[in-house]
Amino acid sequence: MRPAGPFRVVGRSVRRLDAIDKVTGRARYLTDLSVPGMLHATLLRSPHAHARIRSIDVASARATPGVHAVVSSGDFGWCDPYHGPAFRDRPLLAIEVARYEGEPVAAVLAEDPEAGARALERIEVDYEPLPAVTTLDEALAPGAPLVHSREPQAGHFADLSSLRPVPGTNVCHQFHWERGRGAAGFDDADLTVEDRYTFPRVQHYSMEPHAALAAWDAEGGLVVWASTQNPYSVRVELARMFGVPLGRIRVIVPLLGGGFGGKTYAKLEPITSALARLAGRPVRLAISAEEAFRTVRRCDARVRVRLGLRRDGRIWAAECVADFDVGAYADIGPRIVQKGIYTATGPYRIPHVALHSQAVYTNTTPGGAFRGFGVPQLAWAFESLLDDAARRLDRDPVELRRQNLLAHGEEFAPGDTPIDGKFEESLGRAAEAIRWTQAAAADRGRGVAMMMKASVAPTVSEAIVRLHADGSVTVLASTVEMGQGARTVLAQIAAEVLAVPIERVSVAGPDTAITPYDQTTSSSRSTTMMGRAVQEAAEDVRQQLLRIAAGRIDAPLAELTLHDGHVRGRGAQLAYPDLLVERFGMGGGELIGRGIVAPGRSAAPLGGSTPFWEMAVGAATVRVDEETGAVTIDEYVSVADVGQRINPQQCEGQDEGAVMQGLGHTLLEEMVYDGGQLLNPNLVDYRVPRASDLPARLRCLFVENGDGAGPFGAKGVGEGSLIPVSPAVGNALARLTGVRFRELPLTPERVWRALRARRREGPA
Amino acid sequence: MPATPTPSPSSLSIRVNGRRVDLEVPTHALLLDVLRDRLDLKGAKRSCDMQVCGACTVLVDGAPVSACTYLAVEADGRDVVTVEGLGGPEALHPLQEAFVDHGAVQCGFCTSGMLLSAKALLDERAAPSEAEIVHHLRGNLCRCTGYRKIVDAILACAGGSGSAA
Amino acid sequence: MLRPFELRRPATLPELGAILGEHRDAAALYAGGSELLVLMKEGLVRPRVLIDVKRVAGLGEIAAADGTLRIGAAVTHRTVERSPVVHAHCPLVAEAARFVANVRVRSVGTVGGNLAFADPHSDLATLYLLFDARVALWSGAGGERELPLADFVRGPYETARRDDEVLTEVRLHPLPPGAAGAYLKFGVHERPTLGVAAALSLDPARRRVAAARLAVGCIGARPQRLAGLERGLVGAPVEALAAARVDAGAEGLDAITDLHGSADYKLEMAQVFVRRALRLAAARGMRQDIDARYAHTVAV
Repeated sequence: MRPAGPFRVVGRSVRRLDAIDKVTGRARYLTDLSVPGMLHATLLRSPHAHARIRSIDVASARATPGVHAVVSSGDFGWCDPYHGPAFRDRPLLAIEVARYEGEPVAAVLAEDPEAGARALERIEVDYEPLPAVTTLDEALAPGAPLVHSREPQAGHFADLSSLRPVPGTNVCHQFHWERGRGAAGFDDADLTVEDRYTFPRVQHYSMEPHAALAAWDAEGGLVVWASTQNPYSVRVELARMFGVPLGRIRVIVPLLGGGFGGKTYAKLEPITSALARLAGRPVRLAISAEEAFRTVRRCDARVRVRLGLRRDGRIWAAECVADFDVGAYADIGPRIVQKGIYTATGPYRIPHVALHSQAVYTNTTPGGAFRGFGVPQLAWAFESLLDDAARRLDRDPVELRRQNLLAHGEEFAPGDTPIDGKFEESLGRAAEAIRWTQAAAADRGRGVAMMMKASVAPTVSEAIVRLHADGSVTVLASTVEMGQGARTVLAQIAAEVLAVPIERVSVAGPDTAITPYDQTTSSSRSTTMMGRAVQEAAEDVRQQLLRIAAGRIDAPLAELTLHDGHVRGRGAQLAYPDLLVERFGMGGGELIGRGIVAPGRSAAPLGGSTPFWEMAVGAATVRVDEETGAVTIDEYVSVADVGQRINPQQCEGQDEGAVMQGLGHTLLEEMVYDGGQLLNPNLVDYRVPRASDLPARLRCLFVENGDGAGPFGAKGVGEGSLIPVSPAVGNALARLTGVRFRELPLTPERVWRALRARRREGPA
Repeated sequence: MPATPTPSPSSLSIRVNGRRVDLEVPTHALLLDVLRDRLDLKGAKRSCDMQVCGACTVLVDGAPVSACTYLAVEADGRDVVTVEGLGGPEALHPLQEAFVDHGAVQCGFCTSGMLLSAKALLDERAAPSEAEIVHHLRGNLCRCTGYRKIVDAILACAGGSGSAA
Repeated sequence: MLRPFELRRPATLPELGAILGEHRDAAALYAGGSELLVLMKEGLVRPRVLIDVKRVAGLGEIAAADGTLRIGAAVTHRTVERSPVVHAHCPLVAEAARFVANVRVRSVGTVGGNLAFADPHSDLATLYLLFDARVALWSGAGGERELPLADFVRGPYETARRDDEVLTEVRLHPLPPGAAGAYLKFGVHERPTLGVAAALSLDPARRRVAAARLAVGCIGARPQRLAGLERGLVGAPVEALAAARVDAGAEGLDAITDLHGSADYKLEMAQVFVRRALRLAAARGMRQDIDARYAHTVAV
């Protein structure tokens, strides 16, 4: 959508709608909510990575004062106990087998958390430990013990309607895609390079752990307050599990204290709802931060990349093979392995491509969506190898990339959206900002990396805009506010279209009884998809206003404009309240506008055409203390091609956060397992970035050419700038030290050890 | 097996955000739960539950403490300041204004703790350097903002009216 | 949340001793609670009685007399950080206190709590060795006894305190006049991987080492002095400090492989940071300013 510009509200860093509430402590998150009669749920979790549950003795626990009930899987015969967006493989509570350390095995319902904790200690479970597979190697070994032995049922998403598990193995999905002659393209390559990389298990660590609160009404309807990124996805799961019509399930979402993908798809809502049904009372389940480590994580991966180039620097062929460890339950893993590998080859023109990925079960914390959605794992590998290829060809890595970039409007894959950005502009700005062409100081290294990511498709977003009798506006949209500022952006869009001050626009919180369908708040899609729905709904109201005004002053629509809460034309100026009175003949009533964005399926390889390509560049200047291996990032620049920033300050804040979160898995974060035991499920032993990890200079820049499909030419933002961080830093280190790193995080010890090996062996 | 001791309640008198509150609480009650559940002051949050993240920061006699690991009885006779006492919508504290203006708030879960930590710093040192701010925030984690705007907001208050009580 | 307990608040040592003598290891001594309350929340310890030491006369004092700096067990890190007495007598101790954990832990955490908990990553347990620290333990039955800190800390989370004793104060001997010290701690995680404390006295010409003290902690079961290297450095020219080497075997210096690092890495980092600490201490002794900023390192 070509923007008309200049804009009144769009493109301005207006204050967040929730800012005052958040700085005054008035903002309400799930654990700030309670309802009368509420019981507290506590979960007993398996200490074993894999074990048969021989028996559960709850008698003593049940007798604990303050305990209402103690529940295990045998109490759920009245519902379908399985859920999952790809495979319905995850039970409410473990059924006969616990599949990972931390899997919920029993639940206590108590009047207060203390009684619950006391009762939990009195539950006696007789486990028979079973052989566990806790690494990709173990899980893929011939004859490996199976994490799941039953045929899982497919979940509810169109793009996963063709799930491809490999029977008798721990592979629950495979994805293959080829372009051109695939691997045969290497026959014509002058230089072929190949390498292997791994990406670690890391955790979202949202400051707010997961929580849910469920209550059934006397007529069999269900209300769930959930700290979730997709209320509608939760709703459809609950409807199916409990046999309740969609319209009788209400999912309400307060503010989230962070999500990052960890709160997508049903997590605690099914068990909380089931417990509430059993108890006949509302139930709140609020897990601890330590339990969050045992609820969801990023899928670790090992990636093999092969690149074939022509002597003149054209990338000719690429092959990427990736194994993703999705943990004990598939969650959205199958889509991750597709999405991650789909753009593994980055924003480059490569005629011959062969991609293979698979999702592998292990007896560990389930892997799920996490900012970047499989692309960080692949970009770490591909962008590292591309730099190595540049070195082998004696080419500048920025120049080599520039030479191969896809052009604006070019096809990436048949059936999918053409490239909607000018990648060379982003690369140029990053290179300039990091002073790429100037010699770096002897003790500094610079590195660059790029990435491209598709947004989930097909999806549906619907919105309603209401213009009230006093000219104020309410936007109804189910986009979840988890810190990214989406609700403010939607308000800005409505305010822009309807020419009202932003202060006069409210955005209702997600509530499936009130705000219409939105597929998900994830995949950087909300500004583009829900933004368009809101824009369309506001345009609908605008048209209604114009028609009323046209009738009143007898002017053609084309001559009328909206300005500051009035319709103007033919010398007249009609305030919206007056127009409503005109329409309704009284002081009440409201105009309602609708927007529905549903592009539907397409011939694109992933089932739908991406609404936009998320594209970002990262550039880093690093130093290393060779004696300790400690890496310091002196300077980091990110460039994101976003079309049009609706709220510049919020975009910048999102990318600063994305870069720092990327620094987490690049330098600091790693879930450490000993077999199936997670050794560091807490912040003392799991190291998330602090303020002191900020690069001395961090700049997040944006390319805005108005070329997005979103409102006013906008595209998505929020994931892109996380993805290039690890390869940019890896490339900088390689240029500085001559050592290529293939594992993350680049902790001091890991770097130190590699530098020592280099000293012993000599440069590669 | 030794009998579980009966919880013995303690009588407390605390000045919370300038207002005296008299309460009976179990001796083992944590200040965070008393503030949130008994006094309905939900601004302080429970996150890591082990004094690392700072989401539960409140000020006791001006000093920042982790309310998640602080017995309510220790606050007896003392002044407790929560984010609700820092300022309200009608009269924001300069730090609250700065956080809003600088975009230092995203999901907001760390915000209460950040603000109170910053207040404690500015009360002690009116014009801290960026390095001093970063040192002071070692125990305040944020997963959303990447810290840049938080540090900028505090710097903006440094040397200005941010040290107002 | 915590399980219920009885809270006792003795006003005198004899009162405390009586309660402790009655309950023994069913009671836990409680000051700031930074470690204790976390362990109690996790259910790892379940004391029936908490004995609050903060109201006991004398445990919250800092005093210097007869060449000894006495810090009461209930003194918080924050108080140590700000204490003019500590700054005057053991400035390194006051400066290092600023870097214990985070500002909230420093508000409530105490010197006695830190030493009695014997976290192998404790800053104090390493640093105080430099000052020939001794701890005073008191019991109702035996009165006071004094132990060198090195003998008090036995291993990870293990001390020589009997279960009817309370640590009442730590006694530090200031460095000799003209000595300069440094404390470096290195690590990525919440708790440091390595702590090195160094103090040097130089000859009047400031060309040679007259005396050296070195302590290394966090990497092994407990912190220790490097007596061999200390002796070996006497008379060494300042320039030679850059090549100082710890003979781990001779010193009995051991490292444990854990989440903070592998044993061989930790031992190598001990070498690196002993050299860096010596360099910093020497520079201070020579009244020179040097850049001692290293990544993931606190240099006090």
